[in-house]
Amino acid sequence: MTMTEPASASPGPAAPAGPVTGAAPVAAPGPTRAARRLTKPPRRVSLRRVSLRRDRTGPRPPRPLPTGAQAATQSAAFMLAVVCLWVFVQLLLLGDLKHERSQDLLYDQFRTDVASATAPVGPVVPVGEPVALLRVPAIDLEQVVVEGTASGDLRAGPGHQRNTVLPGQDGTAVVMGRAATYGGPFSRITELQPGDVIEVVIAQGTREFRVLGVRRTGDPLPQPRTAGVARLVLASAEGEGRLGGLTPGEAVYVDAEAQEAFPAPPGRPGAVPAAEQVLAGETAVLPLLATCLTALVLATLTIISARQRWSTVQVWLLAAPVVAALAWATTEVLVRLLPNVM
Amino acid sequence: MRRAVATVVAAVLGAGTLGIGGLALGPAPAGGVEEPAARAKPAYAETRTLQRVFVRPDGSRQEFPAYDVTVTADQTTELRGRQRIRITWSGAQPSGGRASNPYGESGLAQEYPVVIMQCRGVDDPGPGEEQLRPETCWTASVAQRSQITRGNAESTWRHDLDADEADKVRVSGLDPLPSAEVCPSADLGDFSTRLTPFVAASGRTFPACQSDQMPPEAAVGAAFPPAELAAFTDLEGNGEVQFEVRSDVENESLGCNHEVACSVVVIPIVGLSCDAPSSPPSTGDQACRRTGRFTPGSGNFAGNGVDQAVSPGLWWSPSNWRHRFSIPISFGLPPDTCDVLDPRPPTGFYGTELLAQAALQWAPAYCLRKDRFKFQHNQMSDEAGFALMESGGGPAALVSSGHEQTGPDPVGYAPTAVTGFAVAYVADKPDNAGEVSTLRLTPRLVAKLLTQSYLGSDLGRGHPGIGDNPLSIIQDPEFVELNPGLPQINQEAGATLLSLSNESDVIHQLTEWVVADKDARDFIAGEADPWGMVVNPNYRDLQLPATSIPLLDDYVPETGNTCRQQNPAVYFNQLAAPVTALRKVSEAILDAHPNVQTRCEFEPDTGLFRIGRVPRQSFGARFMLGVVSLGDAARFGLRTAALQAEPGSFVSPDAASLAAAVQLMEPQGPTQPFVLDQQAVRRSTQAYPGTMVVYTAARMRNLSKADAATVAQFIRIATSDGQRQGPGNGELPAGFLPLRSSGPTAPLLAAARQTADAVAAQTPPAGSTPEEEGSEGPDPAGGGTSGGASGPAGPLDVPAAELPGEADEPASAPVTDPVEAGTEPVAMPATTPISSRVAGMLLPLLFLGGLLGTLVVATGRFFVRPPRAGLGR
Repeated sequence: MTMTEPASASPGPAAPAGPVTGAAPVAAPGPTRAARRLTKPPRRVSLRRVSLRRDRTGPRPPRPLPTGAQAATQSAAFMLAVVCLWVFVQLLLLGDLKHERSQDLLYDQFRTDVASATAPVGPVVPVGEPVALLRVPAIDLEQVVVEGTASGDLRAGPGHQRNTVLPGQDGTAVVMGRAATYGGPFSRITELQPGDVIEVVIAQGTREFRVLGVRRTGDPLPQPRTAGVARLVLASAEGEGRLGGLTPGEAVYVDAEAQEAFPAPPGRPGAVPAAEQVLAGETAVLPLLATCLTALVLATLTIISARQRWSTVQVWLLAAPVVAALAWATTEVLVRLLPNVM
Repeated sequence: MRRAVATVVAAVLGAGTLGIGGLALGPAPAGGVEEPAARAKPAYAETRTLQRVFVRPDGSRQEFPAYDVTVTADQTTELRGRQRIRITWSGAQPSGGRASNPYGESGLAQEYPVVIMQCRGVDDPGPGEEQLRPETCWTASVAQRSQITRGNAESTWRHDLDADEADKVRVSGLDPLPSAEVCPSADLGDFSTRLTPFVAASGRTFPACQSDQMPPEAAVGAAFPPAELAAFTDLEGNGEVQFEVRSDVENESLGCNHEVACSVVVIPIVGLSCDAPSSPPSTGDQACRRTGRFTPGSGNFAGNGVDQAVSPGLWWSPSNWRHRFSIPISFGLPPDTCDVLDPRPPTGFYGTELLAQAALQWAPAYCLRKDRFKFQHNQMSDEAGFALMESGGGPAALVSSGHEQTGPDPVGYAPTAVTGFAVAYVADKPDNAGEVSTLRLTPRLVAKLLTQSYLGSDLGRGHPGIGDNPLSIIQDPEFVELNPGLPQINQEAGATLLSLSNESDVIHQLTEWVVADKDARDFIAGEADPWGMVVNPNYRDLQLPATSIPLLDDYVPETGNTCRQQNPAVYFNQLAAPVTALRKVSEAILDAHPNVQTRCEFEPDTGLFRIGRVPRQSFGARFMLGVVSLGDAARFGLRTAALQAEPGSFVSPDAASLAAAVQLMEPQGPTQPFVLDQQAVRRSTQAYPGTMVVYTAARMRNLSKADAATVAQFIRIATSDGQRQGPGNGELPAGFLPLRSSGPTAPLLAAARQTADAVAAQTPPAGSTPEEEGSEGPDPAGGGTSGGASGPAGPLDVPAAELPGEADEPASAPVTDPVEAGTEPVAMPATTPISSRVAGMLLPLLFLGGLLGTLVVATGRFFVRPPRAGLGR
């Protein structure tokens, strides 16, 4: 992944480009600015990089910048660090922020919908609309469930698989949620014990489900559902070992049943796209990702050319928010490419 | 005497019905195929002697030569709405003053024609049947049945020898006469009026004195064009027409259905017989004795006046009426019989329209028997039907080729009917010399039509790259060379082959036939044909065969026409205007009403210009082509083109050519479809390239017990009882080749039985599906755990395996009985393994990568430091 490259290119090893080209200001605004720029680049390096241990004995001559293989290694390592850490931070911290905000908005929308009796009851609901409120007191979980289980939909919260009934309706409903990233709403569902209560509010009313058990690979499916019983399957992923919380690679399910079901409207779709299955990613976003990366590259080129003309502070004052927003947006798209319940 | 005639008719009729049964494609795709010699005995045949008589003033009789006219009809029983039956006659008086359009009102200006019309009731009615009268005969206009305010020279019916005195008065026909408000022009001064009211099936009487006093189906611009006609007899006294019958679905006022007996009335006009003239003879007496002003065989395209005494307008006058041949006809059950008579929920079979006509006859044989299920044929594209069957939305699909299996369950194909598609046409010879009866098409001609390479009209001339192409197939030298004697006046409809807009196996086979031909392939690849015509560049290198023909052209003509400027549209797409069902194509050809959407005109009501469908083609100048099913072609009596098999030999669809094609079909293994290789067809001189087998496709595993039994029952009945030929319930209609246990169709029948057994037992026979190993597990894609997007991994299976309680299908595999599920645990399949290495490793890897990068940067920055440049200074 090299998409955050521009964010790091300028302050890093790309800096030497400044003095070299700046030394011959062909179209410089005026002689005074040109002169100032001639003396500036070295200072900039020391200010930005070594400001913590700024020497107290006065200015020292600049250290020559690394060249050749060393410069390449340095640049590559810097890029690697920035890209990896940015994505890491986005998945765990920024994603959490986004998830929290989405939940706040969805909760407001859903309670209004329920109160005004406009909440959807199926069978076909626009993707991303809130369809249910899920409460699990045992693990202190309260989430608004949205329609759709593609990776992008699950960023906002748990998602309802579109070819199943809504939770609480007569049939088997599947709700998927992320285990680690974007707030990890389903990170603790494996702690549920048989008999624990799952409370679901949908447009038709409230139903209390009792957990049947946690089911992993190889465990038998629960007994066939008897008619008139609502079944709910929570699907997520889990990891093993000490880093289990960060390595959700295996699908895990929690089955629950409510003895009384609401009627389910007919006409559900027969199947959902591959991208909405457990642990599937949306490969359809690749073109969008390419567009975002292109935008980042354009931003980089713009910054480089802008730095030929204006001061670093000016350029970064203007460019930083743009680059940050672009990087965020690009990572959001990248996340849609990743498995949905991780 | 009459009883005897009726007995003879009944016997002839019975024999005729049997005759049809023995005839393969019978009277069917008929049209083009010349077959009178091979034809079995007709369903109706009768000979009568017709003679015109004048009574002289002295009371003696002046007799004209008598005509022994024989009329035959090929089908009279179990007819369906809009079906066309073939009526022939011989020995009649040659006609004169031929009209360009014999139908309805425009056929009136002829002399000595043969009037053919449909009437409610029969002659010699049995209990519950109505007597046939002029009042129950259908005409689409007032002028065909009533004579309003005629002068003396035009009131010859008042001198009819056979008329009662009551019919000879000045105003007659309806007693009491309608009031002046209803019929203002009926009773005026000295003028004579004769009304022939129409009595509808409901009992209501329409006075028929002006157009608003006619039944609603006779309204101006009614949905269906007139079916009744005044047909032309040639100089030898022979004639032939395809007469379209209407059921109460099309014409409620006439009201013919399976319970109401009806007749087709054929009246060869030999002229009115006249009573003794007054002395001196009045104008009316002289007019009654007229013998026509046109010579036999001549034309009357200008619609000049004719002598009323020999015109078709007075068909109801007693001396004409007594010359009638009444052909009793009976209708089959209406299409909604099962919905009305059987309250059970239908079992829908989804798929190809090729089976439509067979399903129409088969359905009552299922729903009217309690030991069978209620069969319903839901027409949709083969692909959609197959997908529905695989997903469990329908128990079985009706498809006409093999389809890629996408679900986990093996699918078995049972050959159910042999039929196919045809390129149907309606075309008139120049100078009103009748209909074209043979048409030959090569793959390249069809390729030209499909790729929109004809220009249509001068509007298409500006199309880049093909401005020199012929305007339509009518003017294409290749077509003219192949089909000499056709008119060469361009029509827009001749630039296109009316076809389907949605996906269909029919289009796939049609295009397969096209690209099997090297000339057609070269043409599509951009090579000019020997006359210099080139392919439309937008279609160059079109990928064929395909299940649908895309509309790729984008040329919007530049024109000075205001309407077109305000409605810019892609011209060639307006010409092609494909439709969604083969039945619509059939009806368009039946009505000679092309679906070309180029009519552009000003709408005074809204003040806007709008685009619409062109009007019906006028009789005598018809030309259009369309892709139809053989079943429809047979039902509606459409003429079908002969398609090229081996280069140079052209094959029409009939029983022999379908059988020859079936012989070329290769089986692909047990329960798998047969494949017709078009290359093999190209080596045959007899095989019809459009032959297709309709299969019942059903899952051979995981189908509920009830559905499996239903499907197996359908296959068994359809391939046994359903293969008896005939027009009745449960029988196989014309346009289909029956499956027999011997002969070329034997392998198909054997395959059908094998598939029926496999579906009933829900165990596919060994080796039936190549991908059986892959579909063994519950989730074929379960292994796709590597990579981020791990494919359509099985979570769908999780709910699917649990859903069974809700639909009443048993669960995937070994569920014994859903009812007892609560009491006794059943063995459930294990949860499918789904994992993703990406999901498992990504976060730690990202963290490690970040850490590594930071370390390297830090190391380079703080430990591997180049010396300061300025230290030495």
